[in-house]
Amino acid sequence: MRTRSTRIAFLLAAVSLIAACSGGGDITDSGDAATTPSPAPSESLAPGDTAAAVTTTSVAPDALPDCPTDALATATGTTNITFWHSMSASLGEEVVKLTDAYNASQSKVKVKLVQGSYEETADNYYLASQGDRPDLVQLPEYQLQAMVDTASTVPVGRCIEASGYDTSAFLPTALAAYATQGVQWSIPFNISNPVLFYNKKAFAAAGLDPNTPPKSLDEMRAFSQQIVDSGASKYGLALESGFDSGGGWYVEQWFCKAKEFYTDGDNGRTSRATEVLFNAPTGVEVMTYLQQLLQDGLAVNVGDNTQTGFDNLLKLADDKEPAAMTMATSASLGQVLTVLAGGQFPQIGPDDVGVGPMPGPDGQPGALIGGASLWPVDSGDDVRTAATWDFITYLVGAQQQSQWAAATGYIPVRTDALGLDPFKTTLATDPRFGVAYEQLLASPDAPTSAGPVMGPLREVRSVLATAIAAVFDGADVTATLDAAAKQANGLITDYNIRNT
Amino acid sequence: MKRRLRDAPAALLMLGASLVLLGVWTIYPLVRAIQTGHLSCDQTGRKCTEKGWGQYLDVFQSKQFQDALWVSIKLAVMTVPIGLILGIGLAVLADKHLRGIGFFRTVFSSTVATSVAVASLVWFVLLQPEIGVLSDLFSNWIPALKNPGLLRDPNTALPAVALSSIWASLGFTFIVITAGLQSVPKELYESAYVDGAGSFRRFTNVTLPMLSPSILFISVVLSTRALQTYGEVALLTGGGPEPEKSTTTIPYLIYGKNSLISGNIGLKSAAAVLLFLISLVFALVQFRGFEKRVHYGN
Amino acid sequence: MATDIASVGATHGWRKVGRYSLLTFVAVIVLFPIYAVLLQALKSGPDSLDHPRSLLPVDLTFSTIRAAWHQGDLGRLLANSLFVSVVVTAGVIVTSLLAAYAFAFLNFPFKGPIFVFYLATMLVPGEVTVVFNQRTADSLGWINSYQGLIVPSLASTFGVFLVRQVFLQLPNELREAASLDGVGHLRFLWEVAAPLSRPTLGALGLFTFLGTWNAYLWPSQVIRGDRTHETIQIGLDRLKSSDISRLNLVTGGLVVAALPIFILLVVFQRQLVRGLTAGAVKG
Repeated sequence: MRTRSTRIAFLLAAVSLIAACSGGGDITDSGDAATTPSPAPSESLAPGDTAAAVTTTSVAPDALPDCPTDALATATGTTNITFWHSMSASLGEEVVKLTDAYNASQSKVKVKLVQGSYEETADNYYLASQGDRPDLVQLPEYQLQAMVDTASTVPVGRCIEASGYDTSAFLPTALAAYATQGVQWSIPFNISNPVLFYNKKAFAAAGLDPNTPPKSLDEMRAFSQQIVDSGASKYGLALESGFDSGGGWYVEQWFCKAKEFYTDGDNGRTSRATEVLFNAPTGVEVMTYLQQLLQDGLAVNVGDNTQTGFDNLLKLADDKEPAAMTMATSASLGQVLTVLAGGQFPQIGPDDVGVGPMPGPDGQPGALIGGASLWPVDSGDDVRTAATWDFITYLVGAQQQSQWAAATGYIPVRTDALGLDPFKTTLATDPRFGVAYEQLLASPDAPTSAGPVMGPLREVRSVLATAIAAVFDGADVTATLDAAAKQANGLITDYNIRNT
Repeated sequence: MKRRLRDAPAALLMLGASLVLLGVWTIYPLVRAIQTGHLSCDQTGRKCTEKGWGQYLDVFQSKQFQDALWVSIKLAVMTVPIGLILGIGLAVLADKHLRGIGFFRTVFSSTVATSVAVASLVWFVLLQPEIGVLSDLFSNWIPALKNPGLLRDPNTALPAVALSSIWASLGFTFIVITAGLQSVPKELYESAYVDGAGSFRRFTNVTLPMLSPSILFISVVLSTRALQTYGEVALLTGGGPEPEKSTTTIPYLIYGKNSLISGNIGLKSAAAVLLFLISLVFALVQFRGFEKRVHYGN
Repeated sequence: MATDIASVGATHGWRKVGRYSLLTFVAVIVLFPIYAVLLQALKSGPDSLDHPRSLLPVDLTFSTIRAAWHQGDLGRLLANSLFVSVVVTAGVIVTSLLAAYAFAFLNFPFKGPIFVFYLATMLVPGEVTVVFNQRTADSLGWINSYQGLIVPSLASTFGVFLVRQVFLQLPNELREAASLDGVGHLRFLWEVAAPLSRPTLGALGLFTFLGTWNAYLWPSQVIRGDRTHETIQIGLDRLKSSDISRLNLVTGGLVVAALPIFILLVVFQRQLVRGLTAGAVKG
């Protein structure tokens, strides 16, 4: 009897061994045609001379749906619209507050909320048939191309034109992040970028100025050395390789700081991206630098961060082997301070947390925005589209953005929100909340300041995250990045074939 | 023949509900998956192109699927024997007419009340490297608990998932083995005792053979569970740690939140159908085992 | 691992002490995870992270559980889980009774092939069907709804076979006598067959309830963010993720999620053992 279960195991083992000998390709390369990339033809209006260039949108710009923003004025009764948002926990509660306030402020539009995670909301949206789609959906920056390819939304730019909405107060980089080929697809709602969190106590104990965080990668290494040598903290820096942070997104950030494109087609914004460039010298340099930090004992790797999203931040509060610095999204600042105020961690209190810009190659400033934007969905119903636009203008209004930023740690999408309470007071009493904003303002006015756009950006980040985890474990940097780039390019090719 | 027709309307009525339900929610999705497995689709899954049936073989042979299959097999190889040994050990230990034994039996079967989500999150909390109780208490002996943490170390992540899984199924194993023990006729022990068999001989010659139906049953349940593991991985490791994706099982490869194939329902279907076929191999082996066991039992 | 049997000689005093200590030692290990999480849940934030002091039953408070209850909306989630599990359990019992009756007592065309069809569905794991069930649910508008959680689980082949097994053991004369008296199928099922199979139905009910309550993959795919329909199992994950300020809340959530099932199982221990061992001992 005992042998039967082992026999099952052996049988399966044998089967998979046989298979392993004969194959081992990439799962996304499966199928007959996948190995022969053939960029789908489309009436191309792409600039430049590359034959492979395909427009970023399969629908010609003048065939995009209109945004009849005046339809609400003539409508009678209450228009019900649905908003799928992606803010969980305390962030979600803020969205509920804003929405309740909007519903109470007028009687023409009533908004119903459905909340998911970024991944859930995106997957739901793609799954849903046309009639089941919401009127408004909030999706992260990495979904831009995929959303454009659904050809199911009303470009926000159309609404801006139709209503003469004034966008001059908006951060130009925030708007540019959601535009390709001159079409403003969606409007930013919550924006963030990675900043450096550090323990001021550890800095002081190491003889560093607790109010001067490192600006460049070299400085970050020197600071780490001093911190470790002085025994102020076991490690200088805590690294992680989550796909939406240290494993993928930060590399895009470092490319931006280095004023380099991350993909061809000018980050996929003038023509559809066909290959990634993260294995370029800048990528190799930064990865070699991080690997060296780890090998020299100056940094510690907490691994894939996506299970909690804050393992690296906890490393700052570890009572046995803490790190003095880590990089994390600015959006977590509010939560970090709340936790530390609870007094759970003797290692570090809320006032001991320092925040600085994310150090980059040669100390160059600038950052790409992360976070998410709002997409009005093309329901074919003018009144609902107009109602959705009305709600959008509320959510990105100066007063609401001030409230939103103060409560969450996200950056306001518009400059005039800074002069309004409550965020004005927040900034005045705690300048740490302004670091991410200033970092964004410092972004050079260059096309590289708008991040990469490609259909499978989420998957590409995931591939890069795997590669970075390998690099952190000591793998050869160039070979690993090259292999990851090859896999990523396969994903992009496959996506472009399937979706154009 | 007449009776068959007379009963037909009643039978249709009585079977109707479950026939429709099973047809719509079990057979239909399977047929659709088989058919979609040779397609390649856009992210909405509504625009598909032929890829050929060879796509099944390609998926099966792909590195990701092979890795996931290995993870599932390794999980089974860890959970089944250890789960059995612990379950038998506990059951034998508690198979005594002692005062208060009922209390111990309740304790040993208590983990049957934990769901996949509860058990996984319990271990997630305990093993969290920075703030988990186990990490803080035992890091002097097992440094990996703290740095990088059992769930973050590619070498220990899968054993840690197995640990959670073994603990969660301990109650089930204990209950089944205990019932098996209680159905062993006492005379068998007595005659073995009279024959001069020591307690160890009595265990190997009487207890174990008589437990074999229960042992087979548990092996089948636990190995199927290992093959179909999803929740534990979703909650404990998210399929990581990278770079090996050391805990990505086949279901997690298909449904996991950062799945490379999530945007292509053709590949998802192919992988799901392959999972079905592998489960089928499991099931057929099981059925043969059950057949043999009936003879054995008689 | 030595086995003694009560009938062979009395256990000696020292061996008794030894066995009790071993039993206690093992019990402590098995219970430790539950104990540790329970105590963490019963402490305030800073205390719950102060190990090993967190394991001492001092300074207990309900504040963490209360906070988890409010922030996780656990009352709602519990009610959802309870509602869904009860309806599915009732539904499975009804559909199993009906189908089992047809297979056990009725003669009809294609009985063999239909029986094989049922058998075949048992071979299809839920992990395989989720891909397209999600699509079906979407086309029915059942994403984020109770129907989506409930309807796909209403028929259980396992239940049909379990009940059929019992029905087949009922003496044939019973049915014949009933039909001579002019008792219809439904009445016979309801008044004779079902009551006679009550122990099996109890076990089936308990298992269906537990299975539904504990389900994770399907609820996580059909409830996509709508918190008003979420079950407790998938709601727990939310307490854990993406908000650093709720670190210890998950322990409170775990206690709330596990407690009802612990109570249920203590009450229904007999049915549980019967159900679990049905497959192993009876075959």
